[in-house]
Amino acid sequence: MIAAFSPFLALRYLLTRRINLLSVLGVMFAVWAILLVDSVFAGFVSTIRTDVQNSAPELLVTDLPHDTGYAKLRDALQAERELCAATAPRLRHHGMYEPLRRPPGAELSAISSQIDFDHTENGFGILVGIDPVREANISGLASWVARASEEFAVRGLELPRSRVLDSPDAKQRAKLLVAPELEWHARKRVGLPVESSVENHTSSWPGVLLGWRRFRRSQALLEGDALDVVVASFPGLGEGAALHTHPMRMAFAGWFATGHRMFDEASMLVPIETLRTLLGHDISDSDSIDLVTDIAVKLQPGLSAAARAAAKTRLQAVVQGLLPTGSAPCLVLDWEEQNEVFLSAVTHEQGMMQFVLFVVMLVAAFVIYATLHMMVTQKIKDIGILAALGGSPRGIGLVFLIGGLVVAVVGTALGIGTGVASAVWLNDANEWFFANWQVELFPRRLFDLREVPCHLEPSWIAKVGIGAIVLAVVVAFIPSRKAARMNPVTALAHE
Amino acid sequence: MTTPVLQATAVHKHYRLGKREIPVLRGIDLSVAAGETVALLGASGAGKSTLLHVLGLLDPPSSGEVHYDGRRVDALPIGQRAALRHAQVGFVFQFYHLIPELTALQNVLLARMMATSVFAYWGQRKQARQKAIAMLEQVGLGDRLHHRPTELSGGERQRVAIARALLAEPKVVLADEPTGNLDSTTARGVVDLMFSIQQQRGLAFLLVTHDERLAQRCHRVVRMQDGVVVR
Repeated sequence: MIAAFSPFLALRYLLTRRINLLSVLGVMFAVWAILLVDSVFAGFVSTIRTDVQNSAPELLVTDLPHDTGYAKLRDALQAERELCAATAPRLRHHGMYEPLRRPPGAELSAISSQIDFDHTENGFGILVGIDPVREANISGLASWVARASEEFAVRGLELPRSRVLDSPDAKQRAKLLVAPELEWHARKRVGLPVESSVENHTSSWPGVLLGWRRFRRSQALLEGDALDVVVASFPGLGEGAALHTHPMRMAFAGWFATGHRMFDEASMLVPIETLRTLLGHDISDSDSIDLVTDIAVKLQPGLSAAARAAAKTRLQAVVQGLLPTGSAPCLVLDWEEQNEVFLSAVTHEQGMMQFVLFVVMLVAAFVIYATLHMMVTQKIKDIGILAALGGSPRGIGLVFLIGGLVVAVVGTALGIGTGVASAVWLNDANEWFFANWQVELFPRRLFDLREVPCHLEPSWIAKVGIGAIVLAVVVAFIPSRKAARMNPVTALAHE
Repeated sequence: MTTPVLQATAVHKHYRLGKREIPVLRGIDLSVAAGETVALLGASGAGKSTLLHVLGLLDPPSSGEVHYDGRRVDALPIGQRAALRHAQVGFVFQFYHLIPELTALQNVLLARMMATSVFAYWGQRKQARQKAIAMLEQVGLGDRLHHRPTELSGGERQRVAIARALLAEPKVVLADEPTGNLDSTTARGVVDLMFSIQQQRGLAFLLVTHDERLAQRCHRVVRMQDGVVVR
């Protein structure tokens, strides 16, 4: 039973003491901050995960031994019809490029006097050799190309979508060849010999698709512009190993955007046959290996999580069985495992941020404790009076516990209200502040997203609300217990 | 012979100060009959207030027994002692002990809220309010219902305290120097009011006082010295 005097006095004390407003504001601010910041972070994480998933194949067979050929593994994998819908070869190698034509305003050197790990500022990167025809069945290659134009468009740049995948000729698509007229004009721009008429020209430079985040360096590139691409390798082992560099002239074939920042910054998509040639494999030689470092796999649709896990194990066994005896185990990774370190870092950051916000909540709880403790100290005589009137220790303690509860409930309700409103109107508010005050609360350039993402889960709101109230009640319990245990005679004599 | 409404038998009370034990009450025997007024006289430090607290179940005796209506109550659990205090005892203090955040009416109503649950009180709140207003009118404060203690004179505050003590219809009122903080004229008015209500309701009154004249208005005078009843 809760005696009527407990809530009555609790409310009277709260309403007549302005300092309690500080506790309410403390809880409100903490709940608001937790909801808003976490919703932005959750939205950010959700967007990142979507983009990372978009950039990765469903499964990637990787850690294959040196000089692994594709055809045999492809046939074995595709024989697993109930699991494997399609495969595509991948070949990764470090390389660099330099435009033959240096566009005005883009004279950044590949060799910098400063230590520079930003791939967008130099010509270094990872050449990802793909078979565009097969890749189209595995990943969203066409959508990556389309998305690049959208990314530029939202930043106010009109750059046409690359047409390199539009060719009806599969051989042209496989080599990412740009249209003949584009290559003809590109040759003319840098003074290379050309046919007298564009109609007589046939494209020959294999194409390179650059991640759109390299735009700053290459912003004046035109589709078809010549790029000199170089890879380096150490063929042979031990003392016989010597540095070999392999240059090749290629054509800038356009931009792609997966949304996965690291992939879009680091990667340059090239035809896999071209990269094999760059690495010294002569495709015209019948003994040449159809070299791969990875195989991208698309699973049959509709597989359950358990079936997908089982598929990984099965496909690993299939591939391992075809590798030379004594080979190190190859790996079959799903999209999360392919980006494990990055995703773990993001999740860890979110956890750290939630911890910091929890500390904010603890501070708010401490404010409640401090104000209630002060209230108990100032109300010692009242405690004696209540005891003299027949108030039970439990009822007297409840006066202060209910006070803490009311502070927590009101603060939490206000915090949830302002938090949800802030999350809903975040982008509008951001726009308004920027338009009127030139202030961006959440700089989109920093997030590098079209708009500030916001993801507010009702279950998270409930958890935060209940957590805030429980925490406040727990800290309010300490002063209320002190009040309940007070000797009435001592309390009455208190001055 | 009727059972006393309040009885103390061989009550001892001592306080501990470090390793020292300080005796305050040393074997008090006292009984108060229904409708009886008893004055407790004695010098400061004689143990009058301590006895009042023990009899009012605010402080348990170190030894001895306290009986209400013949039932031993000093050993009851703390919650039951509080409930009994609410039902049987009304306190009036020298310094009024009103709650400053509440109006006169709310201070009186508080006595009604002590042993009633939130929901039960909600059902009877109008009735409770009417009774509290009637009580305040009886003590002459019908026009001061919504004044806070700081807006009332000393005499008015003590009248509010008397109304609060009587609202729960106790059998015994324990008054600790109720006029000790009032000027003589006001004190006379308060005392007249108390005795008038006592007679109307047939209450038992135990009055701690230094005032011989006030003591002489009671049925019986008990004198204390150094923790014992001397006469």
